[in-house]
Amino acid sequence: MQQDSPEPVQRRLPLLMGFIILFAVVLFFRLWHLQVAKGAYYYELAESNRIRPIKIRPPRGVIFDRKGRPMVENVLTFDISLVPEDAPDLDDTINRLAQVVKMPPAALRKLLDEAAPVRNKYEPVKIREEAPWDEVAVVEARQEDLPGVIVEPEHRRHYPYGGMASHQFGYIGKVTQTQKKQEQADTGMLVGQGGLEKTYDKLLRGIAGRRMLQVNASGMKVKDLGIEEPKPGTDLYLTIDLDVQRAAEEALGARAGAVVAMDPNSGEVLALASHPTYDPNLFPRGISPKDWVRLSNDPGHPLYNRAVQSVYPPGSTFKVVTSIAGLSEKVIEPDDKVVCKGFITSGKKSFRCWKKGGHGTVSFHRGLVESCDVYFYTMGDRIGFDRVAKHARDLGLGSVTGIELADEKKGLVPTAAWKQERINEPWYPADNYMNAIGQGFLQISPIQNCQIMSAIANGGVFYQPRLLLRTRNRETGEQKTFAPVRRRELAMDPRVLELVRSALVGVTTEAGGTAHGAATPLGTVAGKTGTAQVIAQKIPGQKLTESTEDHAWFIAYAPAERPQIAVAVIVEHGGHGGAAAAPVARKVIEEFLKNARTQAAQ
Amino acid sequence: MLERRLLSNVPWGMVALIIGIACFGLMAVYSATYTPTGPSSLFTKQVIWVSLGIIVMFAALVPDYHTVGRYAYVLYAASVIFLILVALVGKTGMGAQRWLPIGPFAFQPSELAKLSLVLALARYFAEDPRRGGYGLRDLAVPAGMIVVPLMLVMKQPDLGTALMLLFTSSLVILLAGIRFRSLVALAMIGAVVATAVFAVPPVRTKIWKSLKPYQQKRIKAFLDPSSDPRGSGYHATQAKIAVGSGQTTGKGFRKGTQSQMAFLPERHTDFIFAVIAEERGFLGASFLIVLYVILLLLGVEAAKSAKDKLGVLMAGGIVSMLSLYMLINVGMAVGILPVVGVPLPLVSYGGTSILTTFLAIGLLLNIRSRRFMLFY
Repeated sequence: MQQDSPEPVQRRLPLLMGFIILFAVVLFFRLWHLQVAKGAYYYELAESNRIRPIKIRPPRGVIFDRKGRPMVENVLTFDISLVPEDAPDLDDTINRLAQVVKMPPAALRKLLDEAAPVRNKYEPVKIREEAPWDEVAVVEARQEDLPGVIVEPEHRRHYPYGGMASHQFGYIGKVTQTQKKQEQADTGMLVGQGGLEKTYDKLLRGIAGRRMLQVNASGMKVKDLGIEEPKPGTDLYLTIDLDVQRAAEEALGARAGAVVAMDPNSGEVLALASHPTYDPNLFPRGISPKDWVRLSNDPGHPLYNRAVQSVYPPGSTFKVVTSIAGLSEKVIEPDDKVVCKGFITSGKKSFRCWKKGGHGTVSFHRGLVESCDVYFYTMGDRIGFDRVAKHARDLGLGSVTGIELADEKKGLVPTAAWKQERINEPWYPADNYMNAIGQGFLQISPIQNCQIMSAIANGGVFYQPRLLLRTRNRETGEQKTFAPVRRRELAMDPRVLELVRSALVGVTTEAGGTAHGAATPLGTVAGKTGTAQVIAQKIPGQKLTESTEDHAWFIAYAPAERPQIAVAVIVEHGGHGGAAAAPVARKVIEEFLKNARTQAAQ
Repeated sequence: MLERRLLSNVPWGMVALIIGIACFGLMAVYSATYTPTGPSSLFTKQVIWVSLGIIVMFAALVPDYHTVGRYAYVLYAASVIFLILVALVGKTGMGAQRWLPIGPFAFQPSELAKLSLVLALARYFAEDPRRGGYGLRDLAVPAGMIVVPLMLVMKQPDLGTALMLLFTSSLVILLAGIRFRSLVALAMIGAVVATAVFAVPPVRTKIWKSLKPYQQKRIKAFLDPSSDPRGSGYHATQAKIAVGSGQTTGKGFRKGTQSQMAFLPERHTDFIFAVIAEERGFLGASFLIVLYVILLLLGVEAAKSAKDKLGVLMAGGIVSMLSLYMLINVGMAVGILPVVGVPLPLVSYGGTSILTTFLAIGLLLNIRSRRFMLFY
C-alpha cells in the first residue's frame, strides 16, 4: 500500500472538531431553552395530553320559602347511560342494553351518533333518562353482561307545587348558543331561562366537578386519577311565604290576574302570583315541542308574569294618587264641597259618575271612601294633570320597581307634553277628568300599585321590592342575609297621610265604603277599589262579554294601625273591584295575619 | 493475534465511555418499550445486539486497519449489491423498502452502506498520490462512488440516509482536501440548485412531486408544525413537548408521560433522545451530549495521532459519520431540524445500526491502538 504523510490531512482535523463543538453548543442551548426556560409550559402541554377531565354536574341550589319550606327542589333520579369506550364489543352491549330498556338497537345507535360530535371520550351518553326502577335494577345486577353501561344518579329539578309561584321561579332549560359564550356554560348544561332561576343562575348553578382520567395517545383510559367533587349550588331562601302565596293563588282561582303582597317595612315580597300559570316541571327534561306551542300560543299567556310584566289602567285606585297630589299641593282642602248629580258636563260632553243617582254633596273623605267620580273629575281639573303626574312619578309610577325579575314594565304616566308629542293633540279638560280617575292614558303594573300602598302604609319610604331573603352555602352552612334596602324616601305631609289613610280605612268600614268585602275580623284593612274600564263607554243594555268586562282592582294594607302587609290585586275582566278583587285581598291578608298571630303566640 | 503491546495501547477509557453510552441507551430503550405486562422483548433483543456489538467492536481491533482498508472496495461492492437486492426483494415499511429479511432478522443494508462508503473513500484518497488540493475534475471518481449508493437509497426512498451519505462523504472530501476555488464553485452550484428548487416553480413542483407523500408532510410539518398538530406535525410537536416537559431534572425513570402513554411516536428508535430528555431532564440529556462530545473528540484525537493517511481518513470519516448521526438525531428531537429517520448511534433500537456503529467504533479504536506502530 502506498504510504503518504498524514500531515496535510491532519491539518484539517480542527475543522471537524470545530464543527462538532459548535453544533453541540447549539443543541445545548436549544435543550436549555426547551427544558429550563420553557419547561413549565411544555409540562402543562404534556399534562393536558394525558389527563382528560370529565365533567360532573353539580346539583342546583334548592329554593325555600321564608320559613324554610322547599318550593323548588332536586329529585334524585337515575339515568342509564353508555360509555362506548368502556364496551369491548360495542354492538353486543348495544343489543343487550336495547333489550333492557325496551328500545330498538337502532335507536341506541342513533343516540350515540348524535352525541358523537359534541362529546369527549369517556363522556357517558344518556340512553334512558329517569329510568324506571326495574330497568335500573337489571343494569346494576347484570353489570358483567353490560360492560360500558352505567347508572348515573342525576339531580332533576322538581317544582313540587306545580304552577304555584311558577312565574317567580321561571324555569330551566338547555343552555343556548349565546349563553354558552357569555356564561362559559357547557353544552347540555341546564341553566335558568326565566324568573329567579335565571336571575340567580350563577348562585344556583354550583361548580361542576371533574372525574380525571389518565389516557394514552389513542385516548384509552389507563387509570382513574380520582374525582373532584362538584360543589352544589347555593340554596336560596325567598321572602315569599308559602301560606300567603297559596292563599293568593287559591283566591284568584281560575281567573286571570295577579296578586302582589309586600311587607311595607322592608320591601320583602310575601306573595307574587300571576294567573294563569304553567307547570315549570315541563322544562327541565327539555320541553316537548307540542307543550311549547301550546304554552306560547295560549290566549291566556300563561308564560307572562302579570304582576310585573303587564300594565293596566289603574281605575279608581288612582284616586289615591290624585288625592295625595291635590292635598299636598293644597289645591283641595278636605272641606271643599262638590255636588254630584251623577254626571258632570264639560263643553258638549257629559261625564258620568259610577253611581247613577249621584252622591249629593261630597267633601274629600266621602269622595274617596265612596269613590265619587264627579268629585275627582272636579278636583282633577282643578289640580291639573301635570301636577298629578309629578306626584304619580314620585310614588313610583312610570318607572320599574327594580325587583329581581326580568322584563319588568314601567307603565305610563301621561302629561300634556307627552300627549302633544305622541298623538299631536293638546291636553283637554276631559283628559284631566279621565286620568284623575285612573282611566285614559295611565298604565300601571300590579307591583307598582302595591308599592304605592306600601309607601302610604310606612309614611313614604320606598324599599327595594325583593324576593331574596338570604342564601345558604350547602357545604359550609354559611348564610348571607340581605338587609332591606331603602331606595328612596318621599317627604309626605303627615296631615295628608292622615287624611288619606283614614279615608282608606273608611273604604272597608264605613257605610258608603266600596269594599266591605275586604273587611276582616283579624284587623282593620285600609284599601281602595278600582274598576278599570276595558272599553271607554258601555252601550246600555248590552251585556259585557268576558273580554270586554272591566278589570277589577283592589289595593290595601293591614292592619291599618300598624301596617304589616300591603297588597295589590287585579282580576282581569273580573268586574267590580269591590266584588271581585277585594275578597282576594282579604284572603291574602287574613292568611298573613293569622300566621303572624300564631307566630306571636309562640 | 492481539499482541501485548497492542493491548496496552488500547484506549480503555474510550472503551468505558462507549459502553457507558450504550448502557445509558439500553436503559432508555427499556423504558421506552416497557409494556403493561413487563419489559418488552424488544429490550431483550437490544441487549443481545449491544452484546454482539461489543464483541464486533473488539473483533474489529484484531486485524490491522490496513487489512480492513484492503477489503474496503469489496465491502463497498457488497453493500451496493445488498442495496440492489433491497430494491428487488426488500421488506416494506413506512412507505419505503429498506430491509432485507435474513432469517428472523431484518437487515438494513443502507446502514452498512454508510460505513463502507466512508472506508472506500478513505482508501481512495489514501492511495491517491496527490496531497489534497483536488479540483472538481479530480473528484469525478469519488463522486461516482458516492452517487451509486446514494441513488439506490433515494430509490427506497430513504431521504434521511441519503442525506447522511451525502453529508458524511462531503466531510471526508473536505478532510481529504479540496481546492478552495472548487469548494467555492461547489457551493455556488449548490446555491444555484437550491434556488432552482425553491424559487423556480416548475422545478420546485417537479421535485416536490417526486417526494413520497409522507416526506412532503414531514417537510411541511417542519416548516410549520402547528399547521396540523394531529397529523404530519404530530411527531415534531410531541417530541418537543416530551423534551420540554422533562424540565431540569426530568420526570423520572419510566415516569415520562409522553413516552409511556405512547404520545411520542418512534420512541425507541428515532425519538429515543426525547424519551431520555423527558425522563432524565436537562441534566440527563446534556450529560449524554457531553459524553458524546468527549467520545467524538477522542475520535478526532485518534485521527490526529494516526500514522498514515489511510488511518487519518478512516478515523476522520468515521468520526464525521458518528457526529452527523448524533447531531442530526438530537437536532430533530429538539425541533431545530426536520424529522428525518436517523438513529441515535449506540442508543436507538435496531440491530443493524447498533452493529454498524460498534464496527465503526472498533475501527476507530483499532487506529488509535496502532498509533505507535510502524508500517513499511
